[in-house]
Amino acid sequence: MLRGCGRGAAVVLRGAAGSRGTAGQRQQQQQQQQQQQQGPGAGRPLEPSLLQFLVCPLSKRPLRYEESTNELINEELGIAYPVIDGIPNMIPEAARSTKKRP
Amino acid sequence: MLGPARGLAAGTQTHFGFQSVTEAERREKIYQVFENVAEKYDVMNDSMSLGIHRVWKDILVHKMNPSPGTLLVDVAGGTGDIAFRFINYVRSVRERQLRQKLRNHQNLSWQEISKSYEEGRSNPLGDSQVVVCDINKEMLKAGKQRAQHLGYSEGLSWVLGNAEELPFDDNKFDVYTIAFGIRNVTRIDLALQEAYRVLKPGGRFLCLEFSHVSNPLLSRLYDLYSFQVIPVLGEVIAGDWKSYQYLVESIRRFPPQEELKAMIEDAGFLKVDYQNLNSGIVAIHSGFKL
Repeated sequence: MLRGCGRGAAVVLRGAAGSRGTAGQRQQQQQQQQQQQQGPGAGRPLEPSLLQFLVCPLSKRPLRYEESTNELINEELGIAYPVIDGIPNMIPEAARSTKKRP
Repeated sequence: MLGPARGLAAGTQTHFGFQSVTEAERREKIYQVFENVAEKYDVMNDSMSLGIHRVWKDILVHKMNPSPGTLLVDVAGGTGDIAFRFINYVRSVRERQLRQKLRNHQNLSWQEISKSYEEGRSNPLGDSQVVVCDINKEMLKAGKQRAQHLGYSEGLSWVLGNAEELPFDDNKFDVYTIAFGIRNVTRIDLALQEAYRVLKPGGRFLCLEFSHVSNPLLSRLYDLYSFQVIPVLGEVIAGDWKSYQYLVESIRRFPPQEELKAMIEDAGFLKVDYQNLNSGIVAIHSGFKL
């Protein structure tokens, strides 16, 4: 888990080194780095700007972002889409049924 | 897992290149093709098209002519070629806008001038955004790495999703692009319907894809090159003859210009038109949600 965070931080730093060096980009990368260090063990968190676009591909209804498990949850249908490496997996076949949770 | 519960039309017959397979098999085979080629995708594109694919993609983005503030969804965007070009384009338009603004205002104070530079620095894309959506995890991973390597981060996000079932809300995007991707979609009609749904009214659909060459001589040369050279390149460079055999066959199987135009119109798009590049080896189809 920590190794993953370290690797993620290293990738961000590499990205910062190769970046076009605008203040805005550097700030955003610093923010991402902070999020990773504070964030959950379930990999990199979701890009916040995506939340304004994303809906459930099945019902086209809004989703709730659950930070603790890094998932996008459709309460109505009882399914959760995972976010892996900051990329949300919105393929219905990959979604987890939340009803199975203890 | 939700797979069995969804009652997919797994049994319907369709094609994989020149083979006849079920829809489910086709999806699986195509997924594997791109999983195999993801690492070498860009190198292969350059060698097979002799670098010309870059020009085709440049033309697509120039045709789009996006202004700062444009929201783009690039479907089957995989390794980010269109997304990066979009970002470069709006960045330079934005820079030109800011320079023009400074030039036109003769009597600016120093405070106003420095504020304008600050504006440029903090919002270089002018709130433009591109969401890259692809069904293949490997292609997205490759794309994300490329983005980090090339220094793209602002205004860019990645989503794993199916073009036939987009995870986006209605009326969200200004432009929808699909470059060399629609050929690999199993139900093109569904993908076109989804494209229509997620576009804002007034939004534009742009599709860049291999098409049909009507000139008989050129057609024969193209066939020769496709069937004799491309799979060999695939084997030599990527160690994968079959994937590139699939590529060539899928191009032959894909509907020609007029037929694709009709399909796009069926989805509800208006003012649908196409532009042939290199005598029809590639075509850009465009339509509007009006």
